[in-house]
Amino acid sequence: MTWLPRQNVVVPIDFSDDSFAALETAREMVAEASDLHVIHVLPVLEPAEPGIIWHTIDDDSRSQHAQDALERELSKRSADGLRVVVRFGDPGHEVVQYAEQAGAELVVLSCKGRSALTRLLIGSVAERIVRLAHCPVLVLKR
Amino acid sequence: MTGRDCFRRFVASLVVTCLLPVLAASADAAEKAPAETATGTEAEKGDAQATPTEPVGWEAEADGFFGEYLVTPLWTVLFFDFWTDRWLGSSVPLVVFWLLIGATFFTLRMGFINFRGFWHGIQLIRGKYDNPDEPGEVSHFQALASALSATIGLGNIAGVAIAVGLGGPGAIFWMIVAGFLGMSSKFAECSLAQMYRKVAPDGTVSGGPMRYLHQGLKEINIGPLNLGGLGAVLAVLFALVCMGGSFGGGCAFQVSQSLGPIRDKVPFLQGNEWIYGVVMAVLVGLVIIGGIRRIAATAEKIVPTMCIIYVITSIYILAVHHDKILGAFELIFNGAFTPQSVKGGILGVMVIGIKRAAFSNEAGIGSAAIAHAAAKTEEPIREGIVASLGPFIDTVVICTMTGLVIVITGAYDNPLYEPLIKGDKGAALTSEAFGSVVWWFPYILCLAVFLFAYSTMISWSYYGERCWSYLTGGRGSLIYKLLFLGFVVLGSVVTATNVKDFSDLMILSMAFPNILGVMLLSGRIRKALDVYWNRYKAGEFKTHEG
Repeated sequence: MTWLPRQNVVVPIDFSDDSFAALETAREMVAEASDLHVIHVLPVLEPAEPGIIWHTIDDDSRSQHAQDALERELSKRSADGLRVVVRFGDPGHEVVQYAEQAGAELVVLSCKGRSALTRLLIGSVAERIVRLAHCPVLVLKR
Repeated sequence: MTGRDCFRRFVASLVVTCLLPVLAASADAAEKAPAETATGTEAEKGDAQATPTEPVGWEAEADGFFGEYLVTPLWTVLFFDFWTDRWLGSSVPLVVFWLLIGATFFTLRMGFINFRGFWHGIQLIRGKYDNPDEPGEVSHFQALASALSATIGLGNIAGVAIAVGLGGPGAIFWMIVAGFLGMSSKFAECSLAQMYRKVAPDGTVSGGPMRYLHQGLKEINIGPLNLGGLGAVLAVLFALVCMGGSFGGGCAFQVSQSLGPIRDKVPFLQGNEWIYGVVMAVLVGLVIIGGIRRIAATAEKIVPTMCIIYVITSIYILAVHHDKILGAFELIFNGAFTPQSVKGGILGVMVIGIKRAAFSNEAGIGSAAIAHAAAKTEEPIREGIVASLGPFIDTVVICTMTGLVIVITGAYDNPLYEPLIKGDKGAALTSEAFGSVVWWFPYILCLAVFLFAYSTMISWSYYGERCWSYLTGGRGSLIYKLLFLGFVVLGSVVTATNVKDFSDLMILSMAFPNILGVMLLSGRIRKALDVYWNRYKAGEFKTHEG
């Protein structure tokens, strides 16, 4: 794509191939790698999760593991120098909140087509981001 | 989420959960007043202990609705007995037959792993082979303790008393047999939980029957037929009944049964049972909605200590009656094969024993597999062997202790306690048995039942939430948690019999999809077991002791 380069593009990554494909598209839209913000959102763990009960995992260690795993994946795809962010909570809300804080011009994400029943039960992170985002959202349908 | 957010969410949900029964209670105050007088009259007769408090007013309506519209229709379908009472002389619900077939099949298919893996299991929980660098969340011992905090509950205290009360001492024999066979079921399901678990990039682990039924059966072909579709159906079915199980055995049953001995010691609760339910709902809500992790950790970690205290107390009672121990074993053995005055004879006692054992140790049910999936190991079979110790500790040790105390003290055939047996108030019966030896033992039992009930509810809320997440992709879990708290309150309102029947239905029905899936995948487990066992015998595994 030969668009005017944008500053601050946010790409949510859930480690799926589709989300990394969205990253490839987003890379073409920025001039500098550092303009690309990669965000991974982790769920808040239940208090009865065995690792929480026995204090063998905590939010810091989870965040560190996720950050390391994300950087490894990005490095494999020769996507170095990006800004990597890990947050906790509902993916839709966290991505929107981060995009606003970072002054993003665009959010790029991938979306799988879902059946009506699955949409009703699970909903869609993409739908929530589109509804709540302060900036344009590019949804790449896979 | 900030502390303030946690607090706000908790308070909001608490209002929703607690307000309904409170409003209903005030609305029915006039209706309830004569009932309180009736309870008082019974107490004056000096028969309060043996007369179970039956619900009145709005509680009676809730109980009637629960029994008529939930328990009865579900019972008709899920516990259909194929008219076995006509041609076998005793009603054998399909699920009991299924649990027995499953456990026997896994014992034979896995070459008696329940016996040959026992010592290796002890080595594993002692940490001999623990490698902290392997993927997972917790050690073998911690995974077993987490699973036991869910399985050791009122099933061990109340369930055994109900079994002995209904089936006589012989029920204990069949419980022990089911416990030994159940070790193989537990081995098989927990090995699969490890084989098909998912380790997330943040190091957390998710696994259990939903995953191995869904993913595992995708890999199985019978001729040209791929079992992926069947796996998806079984996984959804499992998740649904597991949520039901969390509302029943994992929640309402715990409140209902722990209420029995506690109400005897706290007279204020007689006629105000719903207050106990609301207090329990607040305490559970603090953890599952308020997110206060420290309470959950303390409650779960205290379970092994409470088990030891419970066993020591039971051993003391047995020591006091040491002259009756041999006679008790004789009663148990004779009662297993030549039961007197038990409907359905030997088959009737077997059904009672197997049902109560499976309810207590959850072998073949699949729930514990969710906790065991979190163990740090790269050897799935290893965690299966650790998990197989669960039914041994739960049923062969703890349930047997309860059973022996009830038989030795004669509580099970004391006419004074007949109303407790008829009303399915097992924990109250155990309390009477404990109190017949040392007057203050029932207070220890009160503490034990309260802590066991609480830790079991916390653990089962986690199992249920995992299933909810599987079905909804992790959204709206607050709805599940509110429903869970609603059932906590219901457990104090609905009669013990309705709660027990509903709990049996939900928990035992989890065995239908789980055992079927595990049987279909048993070839893979056996293959992995053979490879692992050969390596273990050859001394190939590195130890990490000290």
